Amino acid sequence: MRLRLLDTGAHDAAFNMALDEAVLEAVAAGDSPPTLRFYSWYPPAISIGYFQGMREEIDLAACDRLGVEAVRRVTGGGAVFHQRELTYSVVVREGHELAPDDILESYRRICAALVVGYEKLGVEAAFAPINDIVAFAPGAPKGEGTARKVSGNAQTRRRGCLLQHGTILLDVDVETMFALLRVPQEKLKGKLIADVKQRVVGLKGLLGREVGYGEAVEAMKAGFAEAWGAAFEAGEPRPEELVRARALASERYETEAWKLRR
Amino acid sequence: MTRHLDRKPEGCKLLRVEVEIEGKRLVAARVRGDFFAHPEELFEAAEAELAGLALSALPQAARAAFSRPGLRLYGVTPEAIADTVFEACGGGDATEAP
Repeated sequence: MRLRLLDTGAHDAAFNMALDEAVLEAVAAGDSPPTLRFYSWYPPAISIGYFQGMREEIDLAACDRLGVEAVRRVTGGGAVFHQRELTYSVVVREGHELAPDDILESYRRICAALVVGYEKLGVEAAFAPINDIVAFAPGAPKGEGTARKVSGNAQTRRRGCLLQHGTILLDVDVETMFALLRVPQEKLKGKLIADVKQRVVGLKGLLGREVGYGEAVEAMKAGFAEAWGAAFEAGEPRPEELVRARALASERYETEAWKLRR
Repeated sequence: MTRHLDRKPEGCKLLRVEVEIEGKRLVAARVRGDFFAHPEELFEAAEAELAGLALSALPQAARAAFSRPGLRLYGVTPEAIADTVFEACGGGDATEAP
């Protein structure tokens, strides 16, 4: 399997989502090859799933106060606070080895590469359907009760292509996350924070050391290489993709119409 | 009248339903949540199909709308959507939206 490898570094939320979509359009048109992209977010941002309500899920005033952006994804799933993480996206045509018709199977295949990537970092991880990867602390007993979420993933199929993006949590700031998210019952917030601290962990929490963006990229690349025999062609987004991404950012992802559409 | 109901049906992700009702008719329904639906537009077409339905036709009509061929749901089921929309229309602990 040959994959174009893009490492686009940190960008704002609208551009990040727009570039994933621009790449999808280019792969669908046959102008770009199957692509694996790595990136991060600056300023930090909260993304919500396609079917979520932004005002319902996010305290937008708190976002403004804390300098956190808010964006709606084209993929389903839940709200994600993007701060200390590596994000990846995969764009391939349907029918590609990573994109069988069975959606859960395609999650499993892409996440299998990430699981190997986690192994490279010394973390025993496993795919947890529908769309999560969980891990066990080194030396901890293996079981449902000890598994903690380390990665969330979300997929869409458009224009005959699969786009899947997801997070590799480097570290988790649950307090800030809950300052930004609306919860159904405010009085339960303390319990929810405690629950999430139990259930979600970043690489730092698992390994007891900082894992940087670059180290995580190398591990996940190795995961795709080992799990799927991927060979990479490192490159940059094509100029046309960048132009289209800027247009999508300003015409869709930054607009109130898109953000508040549900 | 607009009413809102949050539910987490067993085996499903959190559903947040908003319905607009006039008399005994559903004017519009919004089904929000952290679920997945492929293709997304087909889900929205099913959602739009609920507009104008008599409340007495729910939840059967809603179940049929979200069971349409080609629509694949993950983290939610047609039954869960139909029941939550029905409950939001019918009262329960649904709250009127501001």
